[in-house]
Amino acid sequence: MDRADIVVIGAGVSGLSSAYFLARAGRDVVVVDKGIVGGEASGRNGGMVSERVDEPLLIPMAVEATEMWATLDEELGHPTEFVQEGRLQVAVTEKDMGDLLAERDVALGHGIDVQLVEPTEIRDLIPGITERTLGGLFFPNGGHANTQLTVQAYAWALQDLGGRLYQNTTVTGLRIVDDRVTSVETTAGDIAADVVVGAAGPQTGLMAQLAGVHVPVAPARVEIMATAHVEPRFPIALVGNGLYGHQAVRGNLIFGGGAHEWIDVDLTTSPGKPNTPLIRNIARRLAELLPGAADAPVVRSWAGVVEQAPDYRPIIDILDYPSNYVVVTASAHGFGISPATGKVVSDLVLFGETNIDISGLGLNRFADYGPDWREKRGWTPAPLRY
Amino acid sequence: MESRSLVVVGAGIAGTAAAIEAARAGVQVTLFDENPIPESMAALNAPQFFGQRFNAVLHDRALMLERVVHANEGLAEAEEAGVDVQLGTCVWGAFRNSDTSRVLDGPQLGLANRDRSWLIMYDRLIVAAGARDLGLAFAGWNLAGAMGANGAHALMRHYQALASRRMVVLGTGNLGLNTARMALDRGIEVAAIVDVSDSVRGDRALSAALQDMGVRLYTSHTVREAVGRDGEIESVRLVEIDDNSEPVAGTEKEISADTVCLAIGLVPNVELLSLLGCDVGFKPELGGYVPVHDDCMRTSVRDVHVAGDAAGFHDGMVLNTEIARSQGRLAGVAAAESLGAFDTAEATARRRELTGTAINSKPTDAYANWTRWLRALRNAGGSDVPVCPCEEVTREDLIGLRPPRFLKWESERRDGRSLGTLAPDARVNPDQVKRLTRAGMGHCQGRLCREQVALLLAEASGSDIADMPLMSYRPPVRPLPLRVLWSHDESEQVRREWAKWFSPTSPVLE
Repeated sequence: MDRADIVVIGAGVSGLSSAYFLARAGRDVVVVDKGIVGGEASGRNGGMVSERVDEPLLIPMAVEATEMWATLDEELGHPTEFVQEGRLQVAVTEKDMGDLLAERDVALGHGIDVQLVEPTEIRDLIPGITERTLGGLFFPNGGHANTQLTVQAYAWALQDLGGRLYQNTTVTGLRIVDDRVTSVETTAGDIAADVVVGAAGPQTGLMAQLAGVHVPVAPARVEIMATAHVEPRFPIALVGNGLYGHQAVRGNLIFGGGAHEWIDVDLTTSPGKPNTPLIRNIARRLAELLPGAADAPVVRSWAGVVEQAPDYRPIIDILDYPSNYVVVTASAHGFGISPATGKVVSDLVLFGETNIDISGLGLNRFADYGPDWREKRGWTPAPLRY
Repeated sequence: MESRSLVVVGAGIAGTAAAIEAARAGVQVTLFDENPIPESMAALNAPQFFGQRFNAVLHDRALMLERVVHANEGLAEAEEAGVDVQLGTCVWGAFRNSDTSRVLDGPQLGLANRDRSWLIMYDRLIVAAGARDLGLAFAGWNLAGAMGANGAHALMRHYQALASRRMVVLGTGNLGLNTARMALDRGIEVAAIVDVSDSVRGDRALSAALQDMGVRLYTSHTVREAVGRDGEIESVRLVEIDDNSEPVAGTEKEISADTVCLAIGLVPNVELLSLLGCDVGFKPELGGYVPVHDDCMRTSVRDVHVAGDAAGFHDGMVLNTEIARSQGRLAGVAAAESLGAFDTAEATARRRELTGTAINSKPTDAYANWTRWLRALRNAGGSDVPVCPCEEVTREDLIGLRPPRFLKWESERRDGRSLGTLAPDARVNPDQVKRLTRAGMGHCQGRLCREQVALLLAEASGSDIADMPLMSYRPPVRPLPLRVLWSHDESEQVRREWAKWFSPTSPVLE
């Protein structure tokens, strides 16, 4: 039988980063995915990197991640197109301004460097931005990266260290003896493992079910779009008018936002990722935010499927049962914090603990959530209209 | 939202025939055609490969509209039959419910003119969106003056706006010969027609007529490069090739021309069908991925029909327009029947009279010809030639899976990576290669390069071209400015309940 010290299920950004740091620590690692590297949300998101002041429990990991991003290209030996010129959050309504001031207080409370900026400064930072901003909050350590180059960089770096990557390989079962997963059953055969890391994204819940564990996450589809490359450029990641995004190094504006749709997934197929007419609303919001770019042609839109835990936060935990199964699910925060996720998971696997504060990200906070939690919460797919 | 009984996309031969057939049966038909397209879109080489060879008259919207109407006899007939003809209107999106998108009230199309976009619903849809030019790279094809046959036809026939004086045509199939004849008819000099094959591929009589008019045919030749100054083509260097498609030393010839017209093949426009989830299959004799359809031109998706070049194109269709017309009428009959405008007996009788002409005569494997061209062009031109002109990705960048050059990335570990090291990990996927190299990621979204990218990837990885998946299409299938795509009709509720990202208060589509 094939074997590895650690089998990671899922070649998304969380799984690949975990695998990379474990391989770097000298472990023999196999990553299994039913599709290709970063084929789902990890390669399809807005590429934002921030200190997550909006989610205080995540701040320790996010701060660690922004520091790691600064040298990630050299670390991995492959380019991620990471740009660390800061992240600007602008307010276009009084409510935005209130949220922004509250976030500033949280940031300062955690010792994070932020600056309030005046509308005139905002116009200097972001050419073509609306004159109707009320103010902004600038995070100097924020940035953005190319999601697709990043996932491949992790994957290649893993392989450079001797890690193995089994793409188009579907997990069909987890073999459990006593209280441990002893092997992962796949369409490419069984793989014996000492430790299994379940980083299966939207399939996280279904994968854990194979181990007899209930992990409450619900998949949802979200949409994003890109324009052709336009001048002038701005290197700062930008949040405002209900959108998040950035201008890629090549010059394309990549922005997303708007309502999501709860969906169901299964373990063997890749969920469809259709766009909806919502892209017109995203286009409008972007033109409102950046009137100077209103002539930029939209060339593409796409969608991604992300999973959400009931409190919108990641779950990173070594389970009590099976005792060698690690759950990693990021509730759509995965890309930006990915370097820290890899470090945390690697620490948990190697030492059983980590010096990065992940209190509040354990699975036990959902002990009261039964199998019908999605129905109770209203997080189920809408009935098909026609 | 406005709803239409039958929408036909594309007012070419098939689309107008479909619209007329259904309208005469009493169906309320709306026919959309994107021509005349805005100049801003024309400059992006999308949807048509115009190669900047259109003259300033494209500015004049009213004149262009007049010319487009004048050039298309079917339009007047369609209007007489009661068809609502809407020109200058592109269909950039098609949306329908699926397992992972469930809240639309019915299938919808995204439409846009030069100024704004809107949505409509439909009961039946006929996609007659035509075909686009196959792009094959040679050095200099990113200069102004390299264009496609379909682009040239549109500029000559619909717009009377082709700004060429002296043209070299690549391809001696009917597509190339017909392009040359059309150019000559309009006073454009045809300096040469070139083909890698050792004999003329198209109609012999037409080829003889062209030769009588003094056109030089170069068989067993390929292009080494197009040479230019100030971004404009000034001449083309041809070279003879041997049986292995290798250039023969000492046979190079330079031909002065301001335009090189790629007339090697056409590829069916399946973007909208792909967005709708219609099954497509790889048919090399019909131009690659084509929609699966039955004898009534019904696709695998209920209520969606296809007709004309979009259903599959082969060179025989250039001189025999009855094939597209019959397919259009069949689609019109099927749509009318399903809407209750024809009873089964009537529909069957009409079908019987049409089926004979709609079935394609035995086309040959276009991909075999394209592959020969690809090899000859590469052998003569080398690997430092941009296959994706939008994103400036060369043949060697593509096969080496090099990160975009603007990143200026250098590392030994990176240099160890190429298609050869990716291929053993997973079946080669053009979408994955696109993400790493940017080939096909530009403003034309791979309409110029996707076939040759797939061919190069298949060759370099030792895969069968038929196993190369279709590079995905996403909306908008036309490059639309933000101010046009802009949702002017946004509801107060969408406005109010907009979510930036998931949060306890974020709204859900329902």
